Amino acid sequence: MSVEIRNLNITIGSKPIVHDIDMDIADGERVGLVGSSGSGKSMIAKALMGLLPANASADGSVRAGGAQLIGANDTDMADLRGRYMGMVFQNPAAALNPVTTVAQQVELPLRLHYDLSAPERQERVKTMLSKVGLPESALGKYPHELSGGQAQRVGIATALITSPRLIIADEPTTALDAITQRQIVDLLTSLVDDAGASMLFITHDFAVLARATTRCYVLEDGAMVESGATADLLDHPHTEQARKLVAAARELTLHRQEAEVHHG
Amino acid sequence: MRFMVRRLALFAAALVGLSLLVFVVLRVLPGDVAAVMAGTNATPERIVSLRAQMGLDRSYAAQYLDWADGLFHGDLGTSAIGGKSVASQVGTRAGVTFPLIVLSLLIALAIGLPLGCAAVLTRNERLRGVFHVVAIVGGAVPALWSGLLLILLFARGVGLFGVFPSQGFPADGWSNPGQALMALVLPALATGLTAGAGLMRYTRAALGEAASNSAVDMAMACGMTRVQALLRVGLRLALPQLVSVFGLMFAQMITGVMVIESLFALPGLGAMLVTDVGNRDLLAVQSELFLLAAFFLLLGLLVDLAHRVLDPRFKTARSREVG
Amino acid sequence: MATLRVTLRVILRSMWRRAGGRYSLIVLGLWVLVSLVSLVWTPYSLLATDGFHVWSKPSAAHPLGTDGVGADVLSWLMAGSRTNLIIAALSVIVAAAFGLLLVAAMVSRHGALSAVSVVLVDALISVPTVLVALILCVPFGASAAVIVAACGFAYGLNLARILRPSAMLAARSAYVQSALHSGMPAARVFLTHIVPNTLPVLVVQLSMSAGTSILAEAGLTYLGIGVGAGVPSWGHSLATSVKFVGIYPLTVLWPGLVVTAVVVALNLLGDALRDAADPLANPALRGGQDER
Repeated sequence: MSVEIRNLNITIGSKPIVHDIDMDIADGERVGLVGSSGSGKSMIAKALMGLLPANASADGSVRAGGAQLIGANDTDMADLRGRYMGMVFQNPAAALNPVTTVAQQVELPLRLHYDLSAPERQERVKTMLSKVGLPESALGKYPHELSGGQAQRVGIATALITSPRLIIADEPTTALDAITQRQIVDLLTSLVDDAGASMLFITHDFAVLARATTRCYVLEDGAMVESGATADLLDHPHTEQARKLVAAARELTLHRQEAEVHHG
Repeated sequence: MRFMVRRLALFAAALVGLSLLVFVVLRVLPGDVAAVMAGTNATPERIVSLRAQMGLDRSYAAQYLDWADGLFHGDLGTSAIGGKSVASQVGTRAGVTFPLIVLSLLIALAIGLPLGCAAVLTRNERLRGVFHVVAIVGGAVPALWSGLLLILLFARGVGLFGVFPSQGFPADGWSNPGQALMALVLPALATGLTAGAGLMRYTRAALGEAASNSAVDMAMACGMTRVQALLRVGLRLALPQLVSVFGLMFAQMITGVMVIESLFALPGLGAMLVTDVGNRDLLAVQSELFLLAAFFLLLGLLVDLAHRVLDPRFKTARSREVG
Repeated sequence: MATLRVTLRVILRSMWRRAGGRYSLIVLGLWVLVSLVSLVWTPYSLLATDGFHVWSKPSAAHPLGTDGVGADVLSWLMAGSRTNLIIAALSVIVAAAFGLLLVAAMVSRHGALSAVSVVLVDALISVPTVLVALILCVPFGASAAVIVAACGFAYGLNLARILRPSAMLAARSAYVQSALHSGMPAARVFLTHIVPNTLPVLVVQLSMSAGTSILAEAGLTYLGIGVGAGVPSWGHSLATSVKFVGIYPLTVLWPGLVVTAVVVALNLLGDALRDAADPLANPALRGGQDER
């Protein structure tokens, strides 16, 4: 599903969060959105999903598959969410409902959108779990019994079970260790590609960005400062902000590799 | 399972501790009960004989063991004044107080839960303000006063709309359930309204907190509307907290219930306790206090158990240690 | 001292700016003022009765009317405000002292002490105020001191239970550990490092407790286990008018209104104080201070 964002402004209370955002995601494309924390990346994702907090307001134009999302009512948005748009959250340990089992969690979008019998649903959940690499024994487990990587696999399974056309991944690997990060990114990109869906991948980590996306946007202080092919941008950042971000990310990656060597 | 055993052991220990506490406080604190009971112009001999009659001249240990043994066998002693068995009195009067409490709690739930949810669900700032004012003012009204206002509004004889009996309870108790229930409506409203305002406040706070939980966002991302997600996921996440509050509300309500029983002339436990304390009926009071406090301890136990049932993180706490 | 005064002024000003804060400041200010005035002057003496004007309607001579013995309702309410002020203040002090003592025990490094205190608080928390008052009433008889003791006990337990998480968090923090290592006495660490961390919750709870103590006074006095006969209090005013409510409904209005207004003010006070004194929520407090 293609996404076209024009002149998007988001304010919380009277405080502007992002302004004059233009973005495009083509059908089947994996696009990144990078920026330091607090730059407003997550708010763009929330605006797309209709998850902005009560005190936030958005204006401009956000079209997904041709439909205008700004100003759409919550019932219409709810019909899109989980059916045509799926979301993978930053911290799966917090986002998974602590009182439901993995099976109940993963089948939730199916229950909400499709009229399937219980065995049919269960069959799909099982297939989905094997796709994300979880054993069937995980079905009856609660979130607190899962590791961070397993929990994120459940998050991905939930987001993808209805084969949505657009996946929004909001820093899906930030809460994970480096090795699990790579596994999760690879899993997510291969599943999205297999389904032929588009993806908006939000991160502040350039190493992850290079693995997950082909094109990306750089957001700084609520404004879009640069965009282009991910590989180009990493090699030759044009603006000062992007250069700083890339340099900082390099440093971070180096440190992490060192740390892994020491610990490993 | 190990938790259950530990919690039950704690409950039993607390019961023993409580009985000791009630006993000791009533004995050791200054003030001679027999002297007070006998009146200001009683002769010293009268006081001594009264003390012997109440068994207060024996050693504390003997008195306590005697009382505790009785409690254990369901014998709560006899009232020094009426000479009636405390157990039978408690039994008949509980038939008024418990229905009153249950009715009050149902009213509190019916008011507090929906209004508290509505206060979180609405996106209208002004409506939010109105809910806030309702919760705060509602919780600040003394039960005595709300009871009076209800009498002035709805009681037969004195009220503007004479619908319910203003005072008293049918002499034949629950043999005519309709009549008995009618007698409890106004008293239950008086305590239930105040408790409902409190519950509304807690619901608003707990649900408001749950609303910022990312599990609610996740449920919305799966296809729920904001209202659905708050009511089905948010409320469920707030439930353990609300159960605790509900348990504590029970305890807080008892003051209101006593006042209301007295105001509406209901022959309940509260009225009995107040009368017995006024009469310095030591033997009856100590059993009654113990019983009531034990009831609240039991409530605390039930709340703790409900917590366990409601949160799977407790259920599998041990498997996490292993895996 | 000067900075404290400035901070206080900033807090009061930002409380005043919000409706809830302004209401609570006005009502509580009036409460204190009337209590002080009632010490030296009330429209009529409390003992003045007038057999010819019982249950009189509000008039120029008796703005709120008279009661069953012809005593001036306004004078009794004014005098009652000082009793309730003292009861509320003492209940809060006792609750704070008892509650913080329990918190200190719960977060202490002495394993047995903290375990016992946690269990004790959990077990006793569900015992209501009125039961404590009833127990104390048997040997001591009804008095304001019984109300204060019962409220202080019950609210102290409640306070301890509510403060425990934030106190626990502070006790485990690095700065508390380092303060202990540097040889600071544990009691001082508790007062200077842990208590301030619980302050926002403490303030809200204590002001709500003050409000609850007024409600408790009204209930207990009506039951005959509150302030003694002849002592002016709002509960007393309420209780005396209750018996004749069917005949003279108006007199019961005033004490109920006063109690409700003051309890609302106390409930709002805590929230307003917390918001105004929180450097995160109130930018005015950050003004001159260095952030780092």
